[in-house]
Amino acid sequence: MLRKTLVVAKHEFLATVKTKGFILTLILPLVILLPVIFTSGYVMQIATESPRNIGFVDETEILQPDGIFIRFEDIRGAENALLNDEINSFFTIPSDYLETGRVFLYGTGGFFSSAPTDLVEAFLIDNILRYSDVDETLGDRIRCPAEVEQITLNEKGEVEEKQEVLFLIPYAVAILMMLSIMTTSGYLMQGIVAEKENKTVEILLSSLSPEKLLTGKLIGFGSAGLLQICVWICLGMLVVSVTSLAAVFQEIQISLLMILAVPYFILGYLLFAGSMACVAAPASTMKDAQQGAMVFTMLGILPMMLLGVIIAAPDSVIARVLTYIPYTAPATTLMRITLTGIPVYEIAASLLILTISVIVVIKLSARIFRSAILMTGKKIRIRDIPGYLKR
Amino acid sequence: MPDNTNNKRMFTIWQTAAAVIAGAQVEKTDEPVLDVLHLTKSFGTETILDDLSFRIESGEIFGLLGPNGAGKTTMIRIILDIIKSDHGSVKMFGKVFDERFKERIGYLPEERGLYQKITVFECLKYFANLKNVKKPDDRIDFWLERVGLIEYKKRRVSDLSKGMQQKIQLASAFIHDPDLLILDEPFSGLDPVNTKIVKDIMLDLKRDGKTIILSTHQMDQAERMCDRILMINHGEKVLYGTLDQIKAGYRKSPVMVVEYEGDLKPVDGVTGVEDYGRYAELGLEIGTDPQDVLKNLMESVKLRRFEMKSPSLNEIFIEVANVA
Repeated sequence: MLRKTLVVAKHEFLATVKTKGFILTLILPLVILLPVIFTSGYVMQIATESPRNIGFVDETEILQPDGIFIRFEDIRGAENALLNDEINSFFTIPSDYLETGRVFLYGTGGFFSSAPTDLVEAFLIDNILRYSDVDETLGDRIRCPAEVEQITLNEKGEVEEKQEVLFLIPYAVAILMMLSIMTTSGYLMQGIVAEKENKTVEILLSSLSPEKLLTGKLIGFGSAGLLQICVWICLGMLVVSVTSLAAVFQEIQISLLMILAVPYFILGYLLFAGSMACVAAPASTMKDAQQGAMVFTMLGILPMMLLGVIIAAPDSVIARVLTYIPYTAPATTLMRITLTGIPVYEIAASLLILTISVIVVIKLSARIFRSAILMTGKKIRIRDIPGYLKR
Repeated sequence: MPDNTNNKRMFTIWQTAAAVIAGAQVEKTDEPVLDVLHLTKSFGTETILDDLSFRIESGEIFGLLGPNGAGKTTMIRIILDIIKSDHGSVKMFGKVFDERFKERIGYLPEERGLYQKITVFECLKYFANLKNVKKPDDRIDFWLERVGLIEYKKRRVSDLSKGMQQKIQLASAFIHDPDLLILDEPFSGLDPVNTKIVKDIMLDLKRDGKTIILSTHQMDQAERMCDRILMINHGEKVLYGTLDQIKAGYRKSPVMVVEYEGDLKPVDGVTGVEDYGRYAELGLEIGTDPQDVLKNLMESVKLRRFEMKSPSLNEIFIEVANVA
């Protein structure tokens, strides 16, 4: 009899992944990211190529040619070299440079041929330090006065070794996970209401029980959600591998985040999908179902709305409470995970509450589904729910 | 000795063939296909089915009649285990209902519906897979051929007319070769040609030993096709039995139908007249001899045709529904 559940799951999975909306959600990140990848690659290529030879005309006689920096005796010679594409740009140092600091940079005006001021400044500092005969160590400090390392203190005054950029990773994972959960649950809700509207549900129920039908739908739509997540992760890894983000990922402990993301995704999906089924089964139209599902949607995005609070105080009462509320637990826990060292008991308690909630919601949704799925023309009312459960 | 061996071999082959043929037929038992006992169902304070009991025998077309809201659909859904009854039991094929029995039931619900965005083939294959059909492609081709829609196999369901979609839905009810068919208003929305196709299919299935529950408001179809009838109203059994039993048990004054020429005058023993000028229906007093009425009529008009009319199922339906 599990076979029929799998037949439903396969049908719902294929029906979902063939929809334009689903394909769009898969392709959209690709459409956005691919140009970024190729553009960044091209820019990097140009950037590495662009600082070719740089000419200079020095009236102070302080500067000495070095590497890419080529001396010219007069401006005319430098101009000819620039126009003949022998140099990328050139600058002139007037005789009153030490008093005024004025430097004239010449370029051809192309998009990637702007004068490399950073390189010129570094070249000038090196030459001035040599000209001044400053101690080498002191010279290094003048060249680079501060190697900044940011230190974060927790509420107890203890040092937490975190880097700002790493915070982006769990947020991205949490947001993508919730996006997938909400999208996939939405597909389930649409599927249930559509089968009520096109009257196919009664034919299906003449072949298998309402519980098996609902289970098949949960598996089918859940698999589509997993596929979505997998595609996004693959795309993310592609982006990371070809961009400078690779260095960031090497530093973060991806494993814990990813290990926890799996159970939170599965449990979160079952919770939201079960809840959506509860409102979709008695609904007569998609509009009714969406209105009923609003409360779950709001709960789902609550951690994103309170992002500022969670970042500012990841161990605050609000953040902890959100970790224990089943509908906000998946996103909140994943966001807190790299902000603070969440105690293991908090994660365990959060997962336990979530698991119990999933069991309760799935049982409730199965009963509501059985008694309400064939009802039509009625608005969803909370006071009717006990009646659905009794039938 | 060799002859004897050959005879034994032939006998064994004959036995095997007979067993295969018997296996291909519907399992005939003395047990009723459906045995419903004291079925009761309420929604809130409203009683939908009230202590309903009946049996459906193997190989019969069983008419399930009743006005709108009588409880027919609720009863069908309980039989199919889509919803649960408050009290009572449903035995199917002699056993307590088991979900595996769903593979032996074909169901055409009153509210028609198919997946609109997929092809006819994909839609039927999904339904066939849910019924555990072994070679779904062959069965799909067979039934599409049978309902005259084989050329629409690869078309999207939404491209088909309403009548065509109805036939596709009928095909989906038959596709797994069920032993029990529950057809709720199968002729609704069909033109006379397609009505005949569906009627012929139903009669063929009956000849094959299938049992059919026909729920309909078309009394003429029920009267012509059904072996036995159950009529419910407000969840209660009001008529149950063969058509003859129902008509015999239905006490009403006899009706004489006449076609005539002339001026129809009042006649003794006639309680009411529905006169259409050349055709009239005369309600006779109980105990009146129709011969006396005919003699009196012939004094005033020239009779072209006459007959005693028994009450139609439609008339019985209307009267029982109104009384209840």
